[in-house]
Amino acid sequence: MTDLQRCMGRLSIYLLLFAFALLYLMPLYVMVTTSLKDIEEIRQGNLLALPNAPSLYAWIKAWGSACTGSECQGLAPFFFNSVRIVVPAVLISTFIGALNGYVLAKWRFKGSELLFGALLFGCFIPFQVILLPMARLLALLGLANTVTGLVLVHVIYGVAFTTLFFRNFYVSVPTELVKAAQLDGANFFQIFRHIFLPISVPIFTVTVIWQFTQIWNDFLFGVVYSGPGTQPITVALNNLVNTSVGGKEYNVDMAAALIAALPTLVVYVLAGKYFVRGLTAGAVKG
Amino acid sequence: MRDISRTRTGWANRLEHWLPKLVLAPTTLAMIVCMYGFIVWTGALSLTKSGMLPQWEFVGFLQYDKLFANPRWDVALSNLVVFGILFIVISLIIGLFLAIFLDQKIRLEGAIRTIYLYPMAVSFVVTGTAWKWILNPGLGIEKLMRDLGFSDFEFRWLVEQDMAIYTIVIAAVWQSSGFVMAMFLAGLRGVDDSLIKAAHIDGANVWQTYWHVILPILRPVFFSAVVILSHIAIKSFDLVQALTGGGPGYASDLPANFMYTFAFNRAQMGIGAASAMIMLFGVLAVLVPYLYSELRGSQRD
Amino acid sequence: MGSLTIANITKTFGKTEVLKGINIDIADGEFLILVGPSGCGKSTLMNAIAGLEEVTSGQLFLAGEDVTKLSPKDRDIAMVFQSYALYPTMNVGRNISFGLEMRGMPKDARDAIVQEVASLLQIDHLLDRKPSQLSGGQRQRVAMGRALARSPRVYLFDEPLSNLDAKLRVEMRTEIKKLHKRLGTTIVYVTHDQIEAMTLADRIAVMKDGQVQQLGTPNEIYDDPANQFVAGFMGSPPMNFIPCRVSATGELLVETSNQSLRLAIPQQSTLVGHGLQEVILGLRPEMLTEPKPEKTGEWIVPLTMHFDVTEPMGADTIAIGEWNGVEVLARLSPEAGLAAGQHTPIQVNLSKSVLFHPTTGERIR
Repeated sequence: MTDLQRCMGRLSIYLLLFAFALLYLMPLYVMVTTSLKDIEEIRQGNLLALPNAPSLYAWIKAWGSACTGSECQGLAPFFFNSVRIVVPAVLISTFIGALNGYVLAKWRFKGSELLFGALLFGCFIPFQVILLPMARLLALLGLANTVTGLVLVHVIYGVAFTTLFFRNFYVSVPTELVKAAQLDGANFFQIFRHIFLPISVPIFTVTVIWQFTQIWNDFLFGVVYSGPGTQPITVALNNLVNTSVGGKEYNVDMAAALIAALPTLVVYVLAGKYFVRGLTAGAVKG
Repeated sequence: MRDISRTRTGWANRLEHWLPKLVLAPTTLAMIVCMYGFIVWTGALSLTKSGMLPQWEFVGFLQYDKLFANPRWDVALSNLVVFGILFIVISLIIGLFLAIFLDQKIRLEGAIRTIYLYPMAVSFVVTGTAWKWILNPGLGIEKLMRDLGFSDFEFRWLVEQDMAIYTIVIAAVWQSSGFVMAMFLAGLRGVDDSLIKAAHIDGANVWQTYWHVILPILRPVFFSAVVILSHIAIKSFDLVQALTGGGPGYASDLPANFMYTFAFNRAQMGIGAASAMIMLFGVLAVLVPYLYSELRGSQRD
Repeated sequence: MGSLTIANITKTFGKTEVLKGINIDIADGEFLILVGPSGCGKSTLMNAIAGLEEVTSGQLFLAGEDVTKLSPKDRDIAMVFQSYALYPTMNVGRNISFGLEMRGMPKDARDAIVQEVASLLQIDHLLDRKPSQLSGGQRQRVAMGRALARSPRVYLFDEPLSNLDAKLRVEMRTEIKKLHKRLGTTIVYVTHDQIEAMTLADRIAVMKDGQVQQLGTPNEIYDDPANQFVAGFMGSPPMNFIPCRVSATGELLVETSNQSLRLAIPQQSTLVGHGLQEVILGLRPEMLTEPKPEKTGEWIVPLTMHFDVTEPMGADTIAIGEWNGVEVLARLSPEAGLAAGQHTPIQVNLSKSVLFHPTTGERIR
């Protein structure tokens, strides 16, 4: 291959990669520009045009006064619903997953591997098969349509993943460390606290980011188990977009979508590599 | 001699022995009840006459008969097949090629990878909302192309019965192909350099090296990717709700949307449960052979 | 005070019996080494003594007290691991004092002990470092320091020198021997290196397939092996095993490349008594030397031998020849004036020869 051919080859690779990058970025670009335009401009112009006089009207309306069904309070209350759901759910499921992973990695007993397998298998079931009975259970517990109920659901179905992450991480800790600590007189929890926790920062980060993204972006559990007033932002967004009081305000729709996407996008930009590690960790085990 | 050991009493010792099991107990209980128990419950419900509320009057496979006689379910199933195959194949192809190109020691690889993967950080609802606008019949792509000079360009898939499902494919591929790329890239990075050098010495050019040496090594990654993508496809619910609402009519319905509509909106729990069970069998049909071959493979090693 | 009695301990994992009834009496202050090939059960036995594994049957007595059911922390035993098992997030000082911390010792007392131990092992300048910042030899010392700080009744060492390079290994061996002299505490030490075993031990337990093949002092193990396995395991280069036919009068028939010999051996009459027609002769390479005029005796036999290969080792030369169709190693001085391919005069010292049963490998005395 001549130098020129090689050069052309590499150039075309770069061009292709660049083109795809533009393709992936296009929707984001469209969302942002549309959210800054006014309705007339949207009707006259097209997708890729830049806003003439960018304004935050759509954003303000999306946040505070857009209609999501019969209420017109914007996305703000639902944003905070999501926060109230996500924070406890992430913390609890991560903590339980850490302890579970610790037991499954270093304190195996007869049947523990089988248990792990059963837990893992449960990760793969389509949630449609548990929607109905879980609704009954929540009703029985008096948690139907509550934030607490949603937190419970996310914890129960999130623990399988968090356990997987921690178990795979802790398995690589040398077992001789546990033996040495046992001889030194440390008990079950002391070993966890003094030896495993200090080295767990990376896996905590991966798990928290993964869980945060999964739970914040969830729609299925949100739409089934929440009621008016307790809906997470994904449900509210869907309602907002599908409610057209008067004419459709596409700029408000886009602003609303961006508001809903912002937290996970920000987390991704800041800590993206941990997110990727979470993705590939789950995939590798599969 | 320093004697500083504290001898533990009998019951404390026994507690320590049971502690690992105690720690796992809540999760185990939750798993047994909320996963496997619930599956049994839904399965049983699918064999009853339930409507708005569970009625435990068993009617055999009546609900399944009603399900498969329902034209909407037919549409949902065939949509799943069409969507599933297109989604998986296109994602695999795009993911593989992007990974191969990215593996060529590209500058700015990190930035490009970040761009390819960001769609996965976003909710399917957001994706659906964005693409719903982009594919908007009057003001989306169609208008853009017309403004660029293609005055006869038409793109109304979103509201066309036969084409609506393909809009879902587009949005889903946009969201998930980056992930496939990440998987293949990791796999490519794991290929031993010395194999590539050996192929080079053996006289293979770049394409031959990829086809005969590298891709066969990536076979496990292919399978993992297919399993995960199938899983995403079968569970697809959010995207459809946001992008098309299942419409026009129910032309772009998928099983998950069918289940939700019938179980929760139409108050027909029996059929809803039956459709959920069919979805479960679908997932098992993909998962079980895969796990079986994995287990057998590792035993052989 | 630190005596350890292992009474009929067995350990089964699933269907495999890893320890098949171990009986060893270790006196207070004794340095006992468990040696054997991989898979012989020595590490399992070590874990059983520490309490890290439960025994399937049998008992363990520490200073007369039955500790079989006690958890590791209650047995007053400290262990040095092959991989050192240092806590990666703690500095050297805390690694050493962790066991004391878990037992509730107040900080001042802990610090005093850490100082004492660190200066003994010459690591006091490393107290603030983390394990990742230490060399292999330094980590090893910290691991030992952790054990020393607890002042236990028994020390367990699980192949502590295996991860060190050869030179460091020799240095640390001497350190451990000095430490034992100074502390006088009972030590149980596992290794697969028989040189370590010979140089460090008061007594050696040679293990194979979950059983103790022989328990004795290094000299006993070396000169008076109980069976062919022990004889072949200990000693480097290994003992020669030559299958011989036995004459009616108890002499051994040996065919070399140029001679047919009838060798008279000390155990001649016993051999006749056993009525065996074939036997395995065990002869250590250092018993085949160049002729030494100063060494004469009833059992010294002059021969010539043809050597195919020579391996000069510096202080000696190992020469390889053949008796009765099997390879025989001789240990000759470098000045022996031998040349490969020629017949070299040597002498064979049969006084320390040992005999083994041809099928069971048991020692015939």
